[in-house]
Amino acid sequence: MPSHPLRVAVVCSSNQNRSMEAHNILSKRGFEVRSFGTGSHVKLPGPAPDKPNVYDFKTTYEQMYNDLVRKDKELYTQNGILHMLDRNKRIKSRPERFQSCKDQFDLVITFVKYQLGIVNTSREQETFTPVHVINVDIQDNHEEATLGAFLICELCQCIQHTDDMENEMDELLQEFEDKSNRPFLHTVCFY
Amino acid sequence: NMAVTSVASQFFNEDEDTAIVDMTTSEKVVDLLNQAALIATDSKLTVLKQVQELIINKDPSLLDNFLDEIIAFQTDKSMEVRKFVIGFIEEACKRDNELLLKLIANLNMLLKDESVNVVKKAILTLTQLYKVALQWFVRSKTMSDMQEACWDMVTQMKEEVLAMLEVDNDGVRTHAIKFTESLIITLSPRTSDSDTPKRQEGDISLDKISKDHAYIRYDTLCGEGKSALEQLLKFMVHPAISSINLTTALGSLATLARQRPMFMSEVVQAYETLHANLPPTLAKSQVSSVRKNLKLHLMAVLKHPCSLEFQGQISTLLLDLGMSQNEITRHTPAPREPRKRPRHEPYTEGKKLKIEPALIEDDEDKEEPAPPSISKPSSVPVVQSAIDLTAEFLRPLLSPENVANLVLISMVYLPDVMPASFQATYTPVESAGTDAQIKHLARMMATQMTAAGVGPGLEQCKARDEKAGKEEGMDEGIGESSKDLLIKRKVPVMGQAISVVGGGYGDKSQTETGEAPQVKRLPEPILPSTQIKTPGTSGKRKVFRLADVIQPLTDTQLEKLTNMAVKRILHSEKAIAQSGMAHVRVKLLSRLVTQFEGMMKDDVLEFILEDIRTRSDLAFSLLYQEYNTYLSQQPTGLLDSYDHCLFTLLSGLQEKPEQRDGLFTKIVLEAPLITESALEVIRRYCEDESRVYLGMTTLKELIVKRPSRQFQYLHVLLDLSSHEKEKVRSNALSFIKRMYEKDQLRDYIEKFALNYMQLLVHPNPPSLLFGADKDTEVASPWTEDTVRQCLYLYLSLLPLNHRLVHELASVYTEAIADIKRSVLRVIEQPIRGMGMKSPQLLLLVENCPKGAETLVTRCLHILTDKGKCVHMGREVTQALPKLIKLNPIVVKEVFNRLLGTQHSEGSSSMSPLTPGELLISLHNVDSTKCDMKSIIKATNLCFGEKNVYTSEVLAVVMQQLMEQSPLPILLMRTVIQSLSMYPRLGGFVMNILSRLIVKQVWKYPKVWEGFVKCCQRTKPQSYSVLLQLPPAQLTSVFERCPEMREPLLQHVHSFTPHQQAHIPASIMTVLEANSKQPEPEAMQPVVLERQVMANVTITPVATFTPVATPPVRAEPIPVPLRDPEPALQQYLPSKKEEEEPMEEGETAPACQEETADTTLQVSRDYCHPFVAVTEVGCIYVECFEKV
Repeated sequence: MPSHPLRVAVVCSSNQNRSMEAHNILSKRGFEVRSFGTGSHVKLPGPAPDKPNVYDFKTTYEQMYNDLVRKDKELYTQNGILHMLDRNKRIKSRPERFQSCKDQFDLVITFVKYQLGIVNTSREQETFTPVHVINVDIQDNHEEATLGAFLICELCQCIQHTDDMENEMDELLQEFEDKSNRPFLHTVCFY
Repeated sequence: NMAVTSVASQFFNEDEDTAIVDMTTSEKVVDLLNQAALIATDSKLTVLKQVQELIINKDPSLLDNFLDEIIAFQTDKSMEVRKFVIGFIEEACKRDNELLLKLIANLNMLLKDESVNVVKKAILTLTQLYKVALQWFVRSKTMSDMQEACWDMVTQMKEEVLAMLEVDNDGVRTHAIKFTESLIITLSPRTSDSDTPKRQEGDISLDKISKDHAYIRYDTLCGEGKSALEQLLKFMVHPAISSINLTTALGSLATLARQRPMFMSEVVQAYETLHANLPPTLAKSQVSSVRKNLKLHLMAVLKHPCSLEFQGQISTLLLDLGMSQNEITRHTPAPREPRKRPRHEPYTEGKKLKIEPALIEDDEDKEEPAPPSISKPSSVPVVQSAIDLTAEFLRPLLSPENVANLVLISMVYLPDVMPASFQATYTPVESAGTDAQIKHLARMMATQMTAAGVGPGLEQCKARDEKAGKEEGMDEGIGESSKDLLIKRKVPVMGQAISVVGGGYGDKSQTETGEAPQVKRLPEPILPSTQIKTPGTSGKRKVFRLADVIQPLTDTQLEKLTNMAVKRILHSEKAIAQSGMAHVRVKLLSRLVTQFEGMMKDDVLEFILEDIRTRSDLAFSLLYQEYNTYLSQQPTGLLDSYDHCLFTLLSGLQEKPEQRDGLFTKIVLEAPLITESALEVIRRYCEDESRVYLGMTTLKELIVKRPSRQFQYLHVLLDLSSHEKEKVRSNALSFIKRMYEKDQLRDYIEKFALNYMQLLVHPNPPSLLFGADKDTEVASPWTEDTVRQCLYLYLSLLPLNHRLVHELASVYTEAIADIKRSVLRVIEQPIRGMGMKSPQLLLLVENCPKGAETLVTRCLHILTDKGKCVHMGREVTQALPKLIKLNPIVVKEVFNRLLGTQHSEGSSSMSPLTPGELLISLHNVDSTKCDMKSIIKATNLCFGEKNVYTSEVLAVVMQQLMEQSPLPILLMRTVIQSLSMYPRLGGFVMNILSRLIVKQVWKYPKVWEGFVKCCQRTKPQSYSVLLQLPPAQLTSVFERCPEMREPLLQHVHSFTPHQQAHIPASIMTVLEANSKQPEPEAMQPVVLERQVMANVTITPVATFTPVATPPVRAEPIPVPLRDPEPALQQYLPSKKEEEEPMEEGETAPACQEETADTTLQVSRDYCHPFVAVTEVGCIYVECFEKV
């Protein structure tokens, strides 16, 4: 079992819902966790599917919150966006883009398959230190995000308790797959 | 004052301040290190990291001082601390390359740490330090011993990490893969089209290594790089590769393809192979992970301009992986717009620029590795891969029928459950039957076939590689390994691919290739400390040298330790056997033991002998090893050690109680060489009565199978043939007899036997006969035993080679009387074995050498010894012509033996011949083989033996002789003699005479003569016989004996008239014929007769030994005319042995019949082919005259 807490990155597209939900739970459980988005912008649902609210990664959750309150408080309260932003701003100030992060992790968790590729190619390798990347498909809604967060938390706890994470990961993931009935894609990248 | 003080204090303070400032870092480090020794892991790490920061970054001059203290933590309990030490080593070495010399050994230790995490960290660090070390060493043209040692260790560690591709731990393997990737990049040349990440721009690579470096060989490194690639590719196709390892390897290949496009072909092929053969062990989600990765990496490869040539294959793969054609096209680099990476531009300087040597200091490197790529023209044809070739081969074969058949056939092999990999890869075939699809199918099959090691492509490639390898070898000389081929082969491919595209682009790209400028600016880590430090300063003093810290062991200690080590191996038999490594142990032991002198060997031998049955492997291994050692020391090597080993093994086996496993034989026969002492053991083995047969069988095998020394082995066997133990001797003799049949051994055996026999001429037995231990000073006399000893072998050979008998005779004549007696006793068996017919024996008898008479007599004695030569009747008969010509004394002796008249114990039934048969045989002796005189003498010998030749016997003889046709010459002589001996046979003789008339006796002149004589002697009894003659013959009688006519006439006249009426008139005419004139020759026959008769009576009988029991047969008396079987039956059984059953079957009943034909047949059994009657007649007359 690694003597230090697992360094985990949770990655979704806009660093709002799924990654933040998981961030929330994992940090409460004592993991060294950070969350990221991979999109070029931060997108939040708008009044219609083709009219999302788009921010850049520099915008704080607070600013977004205020912006949406100003735009249509009722709508964004009803669809839970404000509630989400409120939670997020209490975790950290603003969304972060994975591609810009220079830190190293033990484990990266993504929620959309294509993010695997982004994670894979986000950096040039230098030290060859491996980082394991796991993808669990989680739909981008509040309920799924919550379920996903708990699933991921459990997974991280299990990994934290392995004697030799790299050697046992395969088996562990198979168990989780069977238990959760979701496919876990697993790959490895190198810093 | 104050001022002074203040100034002074100021000075002081200043000094102190400076000192404090100076001390601070150092002291802080000391303080931190002291803390670190005591605190818990977490804070320890923090503290150590501070130290690292201080001495590496803040004040590197302290690095050397505190190195040992930091390194001491490499044995810390916490793996995190150990990992820290590794990180520190990396940083320190990067900072000061010189430290590599000290620290590489520490890293090596940590590379073997028990914690996988530490090992992984060590691999990561080695990945970096390998490059660092290489770069550092390459820079210096000459290297110190220490530097060379350091590089050797790095190389060795590199091999160890490569070997870790095979370890059990998934994570360690992952790290090993990445190391391999980095190694391949480093050990292959960077080219202009290499897509090198910015961070690695300064990294060392093969192209920067000069070909004439004093220690680091360009060729070696190049070979190592290729070997690493091979290992990686081999690793990839392992059927049970884990999904993460596979993912890692896929990524590594992509990196290789992009950074070293020369490997692109291998990479794409590996991808294809993998895609077509996903490991069956992967779970469903792992399959998708792998496929996802494969897709990503393929796209990355596709983006590289050099992928152009492989676009077809890559696109096909991507399509299979579920990518749309549009997407693929989007990712494909446009061939006409070669992306020029900015870093290339500054170096573009016109075309055909020769690549400049990579090293700054290097100004004479005209033959750099990369040039071949340019110097070789692009006209070299594209080299197709095995898959390409096989696919081309398959494509025309994929007719709808064939494909349908393939599908049907493969149905049988489908698994019960659909494998995850199939499920994932399966996409419904949309364009079935189209050209594109067939091509695709052919390619997929080709990939599978190539992976499975079959297909024409693979064979062609192999042939091509071999050919290329040869050419390469010729061009480059022996030093260049064929592995260089890889690069040289690939480069033209790239050139070709570009030129294929055509015109403008070709030029451009060539320009680009041509410029392929190696960055002249070498990445030079600015390491002030390295430059400041001069060789030989403090840095070197601390270098770890094994020799400094160890003390040599004393010889005794060494020996003890060695012995203990060997003993441990020796006694770990079971444990090792369970691990299945017994053969390794055996090999190890035998190698070890043969290298050391002394006790160890004996220990091992003893150990083997404790249970040789199960330890024979070790025994053989040891033996061979010893022999090997001997051979390797030729021509001065000694066999002692081998001899000792073989001797001990064999003696051990020989001394052990009986074992039936044939191990002794096995060792003897499989030993590479039989030494003298080993042969001695074999001899002892043979002398052991319980194992004599096995021993001699072994010896025989040696003789037969090792011709080079066969006489040496044969000698042992021959020696044993006179062994005192009967069993040993008889076995040896029977083995030798078999050997004697072999031509190449015959002479030797014979000489040995004769030499041994020749010893008998010595007055005293030579010491040779006694064996070393029994030899005495005083010459002992010959004894029965010693005589026998000299003869055993000879006598057993004698029946096999009768010629040898003459040697015996010559020895015999020279030997003293005692020996003669012994000889006479021992020859019985072999002489009998030779048999009466033996020409050599007869020759001996005939030419009986002077002084050997007793020997010859003894031989005959033995041959005719009744009771022991039951089956010799026929032989005797055949030998008779010769026998009877012998010295009369000898003949008499023979007859005595034959007739059983000498030995009282011999009952007549045991005799080979009945007396009657003997006499008949004499009558039938072929007169061409023997003169009549001898025959008559011989018959006289018989008649002299009245006790044997009773009237009954003679009656049977006469009866049988009379039935023969033609009639024997001596018939009538015998009849007359019998009659004179036994007058009461008169009636019987008349009967005979009557029957002779029936047989027209007058046709045999000599017999007829006798007939007339007989009648004359037996008148008046014979009158009735005479009256039965035809008139002409009666006339002939009267011509011979005119005086008979008158009495006969009177006899007739005394008949009653009735009786007279029965006399034919013609007879009466003859009787009454008036011929009273005396005939001139009338008296001659009478004289002759008298002579014969006189001879008979004169025959000396005195020499005959009296007979205790007359061996008379119970034969029918008096006239066996009607019942001759008893005699015949006596005779027949002995014939049975030698005659065809059919013949015998005909013979027996024939005897009972009286027809002329069958009589003839019977008589033939007794007769030799007859000679012309006239001739016989002459002899008859002659012999009668002489007597």
